[in-house]
Amino acid sequence: MFQRIAESSVIDGVDIQLDGEIYHIPVTLSVAAAVLFIKGDEEYRRHVDGHARAPFCLMGCCHECLITIDGEPNRRGCLVSVAEGMSIERQLEGSQDDG
Amino acid sequence: MGELCQAEIAIIGAGPAGMAAAIRLAQAGIRPVVFDMGNAPGGQIYRQLNAPVIGETLSGTDYYRGRRLLRDFSRADIDYRPRSQVWWGQCESDGVSLGVVDSAGASRWHVHRLLLATGSMERSWPFPGWQLPGLMQAGAAQILFKEGGLVPEASPVLAGSGPLLYLLAWQYCRAGCAPQRILDTTPASRYRLPLRYLRGAWKGRHYLMKGSRMMLALKRAGVPIHHGVEALEATGRNRVERVHYYWRGHWHDQDTSLVLTHFGVVPEPQLGRAIGIPYDWHEGQQGFLPVRNASLQARDRVWIAGDGGGIGGALNAEREGRLAALSMLTVSANDVADRERERRRLEHRRATDLAVRPLLEAMFRLPSHWLSEQPDTTLVCRCESVSLGELRRAIEQGAVGPNQLKAFTRCGMGPCQGRECGESVTRLLSTVQARPPQEVGYYQVRPPVQALSLGELAAMATDA
Ligand SMILES: Cc1cc2nc3c(=O)[nH]c(=O)nc-3n(C[C@H](O)[C@H](O)[C@H](O)COP(=O)(O)OP(=O)(O)OC[C@H]3O[C@@H](n4cnc5c(N)ncnc54)[C@H](O)[C@@H]3O)c2cc1C
Ligand code: FES
Repeated sequence: MFQRIAESSVIDGVDIQLDGEIYHIPVTLSVAAAVLFIKGDEEYRRHVDGHARAPFCLMGCCHECLITIDGEPNRRGCLVSVAEGMSIERQLEGSQDDG
Repeated sequence: MGELCQAEIAIIGAGPAGMAAAIRLAQAGIRPVVFDMGNAPGGQIYRQLNAPVIGETLSGTDYYRGRRLLRDFSRADIDYRPRSQVWWGQCESDGVSLGVVDSAGASRWHVHRLLLATGSMERSWPFPGWQLPGLMQAGAAQILFKEGGLVPEASPVLAGSGPLLYLLAWQYCRAGCAPQRILDTTPASRYRLPLRYLRGAWKGRHYLMKGSRMMLALKRAGVPIHHGVEALEATGRNRVERVHYYWRGHWHDQDTSLVLTHFGVVPEPQLGRAIGIPYDWHEGQQGFLPVRNASLQARDRVWIAGDGGGIGGALNAEREGRLAALSMLTVSANDVADRERERRRLEHRRATDLAVRPLLEAMFRLPSHWLSEQPDTTLVCRCESVSLGELRRAIEQGAVGPNQLKAFTRCGMGPCQGRECGESVTRLLSTVQARPPQEVGYYQVRPPVQALSLGELAAMATDA
């Protein structure tokens, strides 16, 4: 869905795990951006109403990017940068706490 | 509640307003603490400029202009704390208390004076299908561009109104992924308004020229621009597959996998409201702005600078940051005259720069009845999936204000705490009840204003 433009400067990469698979990702990306980059937006998150949802604002307002990071659920993926060894799990079950 | 820390002055936000204020305070020998959610200073406009990913030919010159501010910020003696979220605040007789969470955990701060430089957010503007994956705000697309040099694989449709929509379209053209088309909700006749606002138009001519240059470049690149689109709808099974738009008296369809919308920006209200600052409806900006005096002070010990106080753009944010810093400094007799001169110079430049705003506001004015004209199935509260129809029924059943509507329907009770539906609810009630938005008011905002994880809450509960 998104691709890197050839003109962008070279950025260091980190290895992250997304749902158990390892990906090499530019270190400047947020978790939400990384998931959009790897998987696109179709299966980012299931909402409480059972429908698919994906990041909307990428700046901490809408809370559409909720995702499990290093075991902790409902983090705003757009506010957390990817880091070496980070483990990310998408919340595809359609249940979510208000937290 | 964790460790208790003290500071003379705290600044929340390291965008142009917060950075400029911190630099000016440091010059005067005060070491402010600066909390910011981001990884690096810059705020929205100068995001990732500390280690740029895209070059100036793609970003435009405004972006690289921020380097001077970033350099001065990094050299000054400032207690800068990235990745820190202020989730709570309370005004007290001798200062302000703040709750902060960062990677190390939670801490509580007591500061004598506070500057809110928390910036703006994109205005939520519901229409059918706006909750589908494949529909994002233009600002989100710009963040992907600045942070990772990411652009859409397939050419997107841009929809909405305002300068940021055209900036993104222009940037995408430069990056070789021109939009399929631009669905501009601004009627073509509005672009002739500068003729009626000659004074503002002259003082803000560089803004207008930049806008015309961008539009010309888009036309040259062959991007169709439809002015005066009156309604929008996105459809698709699990994600956006098509966008429908009502233009020149008919509905039109366009296949697309990505729609990027922009309907202007409004001050991010949560923290200001949570610490009890009054907000008034601003007709020109079509949103709530915090009430501030001429020195940008909002209440005892609290100042607000930048787009969080009203939309004025990055240069205005920077000037407001410096003005707020000057006002926060307790003045000693021997530098009164110098500071006064500095203040007057800043005020003068700020007024000249802001003279274009009424024109821009009139040009990009959104139809205030938009929401009430959407179909009942349109989601208004994305978090709790509350539809416009449910809200209409609750209003008929006697929900007279935003807080009652919330209690009746759960609208605004989800994780975003009403950021995405708050002003929609005000607008809807205002239209339905034929009352001015000021009278309708807004949700009561209570902390935490930033979502805390269970671990953070548990840590605070055990420490308290
Ligand atoms: C998504 C988006 C993109 C934009 N892009 C452009 C652009 O390309 N060009 C342009 O001219 N204008 C742009 N604007 C307008 C732009 O916001 C202003 O011109 C300028 O950035 C305003 O500066 P500021 O210092 O007031 O706020 P901002 O730059 O928004 O900075 C506010 C900072 O406060 C932080 N913050 C907010 N709340 C908290 C909290 N509770 N705790 C800790 N930190 C907090 C935020 O993380 C942010 O870093 C954009 C606006 C948005 C919303
Ligand atoms: S995408 Fe909106 S909060 Fe993360």
